[in-house]
Amino acid sequence: MARYVVKRLFSMIVTLLIISALTFGLMHSIPGGPFTSERELAPEIEAALMEKYGLDQPLYQQYLTYIGNLLKGDLGVSMKKTGVTVNDMISQGLPTSAKVGMIAVCVILFMGIPIGIISALKQNSIIDHIVMFIATIGIAVPSFVVGTFMMYVFGELLGLIPAGGLSGWNSYIGPVVALSGFSLAYVTRLMRSSMLEVLRQDYIRTARANGLNQFKVIGKHALKNALIPVVTYVGPMVASILTGSFVVEKIFALPGMGTHFTESVTNRDYTVIMSITLFYAAVYIFMVLLVDIAYAVIDPRIKLSD
Amino acid sequence: MNNEWEVVEPGSLEGTQTTRKSLTYWQDVWRRLRQNVMAMTGLVMIVIIALLAIFGPMWTPYSYSDQSLALANIPISYEITHIKDDIYVYVHREYKLFRMEADGTIVEALKETERNTTQSYMMYDIDGVEVKFDYSSARANSSSNVMQDKYDLYVDGVLIDKYDTTKVYNKSYLLGTDSLGRDILTRVLYGARISLTVGLVASLVNLFIGVLYGGIAGYEGGKLDNIMMRIVDIINSVPLLLIVIMLMVIIEPGLKTIIITIGAVYWVGMARLVRGQVLSLKEQEFVLAARALGVSKGKIIVRHLIPNAIGPIVVSMMMAIPSAIFTEAFLSFMGLGISAPEASWGTLASDALGGIRSYPYQLAVPSIAIAVTMFAFNFLGDGLRDALDPRLRK
Repeated sequence: MARYVVKRLFSMIVTLLIISALTFGLMHSIPGGPFTSERELAPEIEAALMEKYGLDQPLYQQYLTYIGNLLKGDLGVSMKKTGVTVNDMISQGLPTSAKVGMIAVCVILFMGIPIGIISALKQNSIIDHIVMFIATIGIAVPSFVVGTFMMYVFGELLGLIPAGGLSGWNSYIGPVVALSGFSLAYVTRLMRSSMLEVLRQDYIRTARANGLNQFKVIGKHALKNALIPVVTYVGPMVASILTGSFVVEKIFALPGMGTHFTESVTNRDYTVIMSITLFYAAVYIFMVLLVDIAYAVIDPRIKLSD
Repeated sequence: MNNEWEVVEPGSLEGTQTTRKSLTYWQDVWRRLRQNVMAMTGLVMIVIIALLAIFGPMWTPYSYSDQSLALANIPISYEITHIKDDIYVYVHREYKLFRMEADGTIVEALKETERNTTQSYMMYDIDGVEVKFDYSSARANSSSNVMQDKYDLYVDGVLIDKYDTTKVYNKSYLLGTDSLGRDILTRVLYGARISLTVGLVASLVNLFIGVLYGGIAGYEGGKLDNIMMRIVDIINSVPLLLIVIMLMVIIEPGLKTIIITIGAVYWVGMARLVRGQVLSLKEQEFVLAARALGVSKGKIIVRHLIPNAIGPIVVSMMMAIPSAIFTEAFLSFMGLGISAPEASWGTLASDALGGIRSYPYQLAVPSIAIAVTMFAFNFLGDGLRDALDPRLRK
């Protein structure tokens, strides 16, 4: 187990290095740089700026410098916002994104899984039909529509939630609903279908025949096996809720990570693009690793050998 | 010896035989799909959407980029006031008057003859009839959401009953106009083209690159498989959206780039699925037989292995379409997709955000279009999955 984790962490670093090289190459192949603007800069000023940020050096040199600084935990300085470091941006934006994201993940797990189970146990009942209907809507409606709808109906018309920013507890309702909507619906459907699959198995019949009560049959025998597909989905989902929050942050005017990232892309702010991409990729890969470990915990038949 | 058996007349048992026409796999799939009401609804909806996307923009009288600022933000239905004879006006929320016909056709945006901002009124001359539009009560009733509370209308100096209006539907622009006076119906239909193109490309890329890549990796195995799957892992370990955004930046935004980026990324899941299927299939006897007969590698993959994994492939292809449409809408909404004046559902929704308080219909129309398309593809996908599952075969 420990060997496996170490091996995976190592391959994670290799993957991140490849991603960073790719991003770096791609980014610099974009026409235009951070100092291209409407107003022509005097050549001396431009040269000075280029020198200040090390852009006058050959590409591989720039890349090595960047990686060197990265290993020291320094993500670099923004080329557009003078004096602001990327570390600042992350420490400022991440708490907001993480808070909203984590609440959304909790909502997804603590609502989606139980509702999916209930729906499976009461298959073809009225509850099941209602749940599946709502879940299908959840999958069909994009988050930006849910977000704007929440803001318009509950914010403007009913005045229940503030329209933007994060002020009180009720300002979380809009972003969390918009962020969790799709995944909540997806997890519910996934949980239901995998539960239905498991409930048909022989060992469930055996457990029932042996006189175990419903609670034990479901909680101890069925749930563990039915959770595997859900776990597969949840890992990347957690990471993409962090990345997918761009839209929600835009609609609800939240000062999160997504805002910085989209801004930096349009501004050609090299260091910010690079660092935030790597940050997201690291979170993503780490979540996938957690999923693989979770597999082994849930299902002892899966051995973490490779 | 007593014989208890009877001789049967030839042909007398023909009617009692329980024979059923034998169905091929695809006939059986189609038969089961047809019984699924939801899936068929989805299929019909997709056909309708596709027809509308192809032919719709031809019969709307406007082009997707036609602007007329004078006719901006006109809703789907409105209250018109009868002035005199066949003269009707519609008072727009932006304090503009439009001349109307009784059935709701817009004749023209009226030009005021006099504008008095200190006294808060405007004078209009409609075919010799003098109309005074007095909005001095607007400030006192600014919180009211009813437009009629905010103005008074005088016809030839006489105050008329402003609440005496008739509600009619917009006959000139069936789904209203956007903030630049462009016809929303045309733009939504045009957006359908883009969404369906993106979906189609995603599924084709899935089919050609994904299936072949997975097939080769799975069949070859060993080192090649290892390298090929590492590449997939790397592509897979960067959040998809990040790749798309990065690529969108390098190649400038537009339909072509959306297609390239979605094409570059969307085959990964399919490659994994096919590899898994091929890994288990290649150990079976029919592959051995084919190999023994000297069938080439490429032919074994294309003719023997892939057709045996067709069920999961079709389902995965079907599911890739809505997710590609979703991605396109999302990117366009973020301003990284289709650029103006071209329209996609995402840009339409994004454009509508600013005016959401006054003109919610501008957001509702593209949102409903996206949702309906998603429903259709999801229903059909679910139905196909059930129909292709041999375990559910009766």
